[in-house]
Amino acid sequence: MFFLRKCKTAILIIALLVIALTMLSFNLRYGAGRGFFSKIVLEAVAPLQKGLSTSVKSIRDAWLRYIILVGIEEENKKLNKKINELKAVVIQYQEGYLEAQRLKKILSFTDDYNYHFIHARVIGREQAGLSKTILIDKGTIHGLKVGMPVIVPPGLIGRLLDVSWHASKVLLLIDENSNIDAIVQRTRMQGIVSGAGSRGFILKYISKTQDVQEGDVIVSSGMGGVFPKGLLIGQVSHVERLEASLFLKINVAPFVDFSKLEEVSVLASSEKRTEQQ
Amino acid sequence: MIYYLLMPFLSIILVILQSTITDVIFFGRLVFDLSLVVVIYAGFRLDLVRGSFLAFVLGFVFDCVAGSVQGLFTFIYVIIFLFSFFASGRLAAEKMYIIALFGFLCAFLEDLMVILFYHLVFKFDILVNVYLVLIPKTLIVGLLAPVFFYMMRRVEVFFYERTA
Repeated sequence: MFFLRKCKTAILIIALLVIALTMLSFNLRYGAGRGFFSKIVLEAVAPLQKGLSTSVKSIRDAWLRYIILVGIEEENKKLNKKINELKAVVIQYQEGYLEAQRLKKILSFTDDYNYHFIHARVIGREQAGLSKTILIDKGTIHGLKVGMPVIVPPGLIGRLLDVSWHASKVLLLIDENSNIDAIVQRTRMQGIVSGAGSRGFILKYISKTQDVQEGDVIVSSGMGGVFPKGLLIGQVSHVERLEASLFLKINVAPFVDFSKLEEVSVLASSEKRTEQQ
Repeated sequence: MIYYLLMPFLSIILVILQSTITDVIFFGRLVFDLSLVVVIYAGFRLDLVRGSFLAFVLGFVFDCVAGSVQGLFTFIYVIIFLFSFFASGRLAAEKMYIIALFGFLCAFLEDLMVILFYHLVFKFDILVNVYLVLIPKTLIVGLLAPVFFYMMRRVEVFFYERTA
């Protein structure tokens, strides 16, 4: 008893360190999203973060509106020109889409997109050193589950890492902890897209003999069943052939600015849809 | 007892404030690590039990809200607190340049642990992040730490004068 009293502080500190290490190893072993206390913290954070974000956003918007007014006429002309150009492109794509639909029908392909969207607002952007996450204002009571893909049309931005009752944490694709099976749209070569923080993504495990060029579009492969096939991930920004490596070093630029996310959509599973129906 | 009851709520507010400032001032490009400065300050001002709890709770909240690996910052913050606590006896806290250097060192230590963890567990490329993440963040903490220490000293003087 005397020993315990004497070493009380040391025991306490060792216990805290052991708890932290246990959490860490548990998380690495079984993944995130299982802690009751972390749900409580997320639940407490959500309303505060939402309130603060709304106030900050309104101030920022007012300031940006003032800034944007300067030179808006010039911008307007440019945009009108761009719209006319894009209209022509859209018509081309519509033709292509209709053709694909017809071919799909002919080949009797089944429709894989048996999903429904749950829309959510981004209430916080958390960027802790290497980890990149966001908080959204929907949780388990809205039908969200850990692991569900999160998208900003037309592409993928991450997956749900932790879900509480009214809020969820999204692990962005640019997080170093994030890996997703992907294919190069042009050549159908398969690789793994890993997050690289502010550098975007890195496409790994593509052999040096393969043809990958700057500008190639990268989409999800649908392997593993977590992410649906064909969702846009990004565009190849740089390809390097290293002498010492078996694989290409490919940098991929995201299609979206991750620091400006405001609304996102969560792809709920097909099972959920059936349940609701 | 009030200290232990209030600590989780204050930790949550601190982490939210930190992420909002990061978002507003640095547009998410750089990290404003206010919570780390608080942990360093706790090493200089609090006793071992209170300080360890503070570091643990703050790290846990930070992990829940911002971290992608639960437990990583909880562990690192307790280590940083202990480092700060044992170094505080040998450092002159009233000298601002010492606090700046010590803040810089602690932030460096924190990022080193994070990067090493990512490298060992996720086989992650270290060198790029030394320039992109580690150096800007350590510089910010190094600049922020003396300001925070100075402000807290003023607050302490204010309350001490009122209660005396």
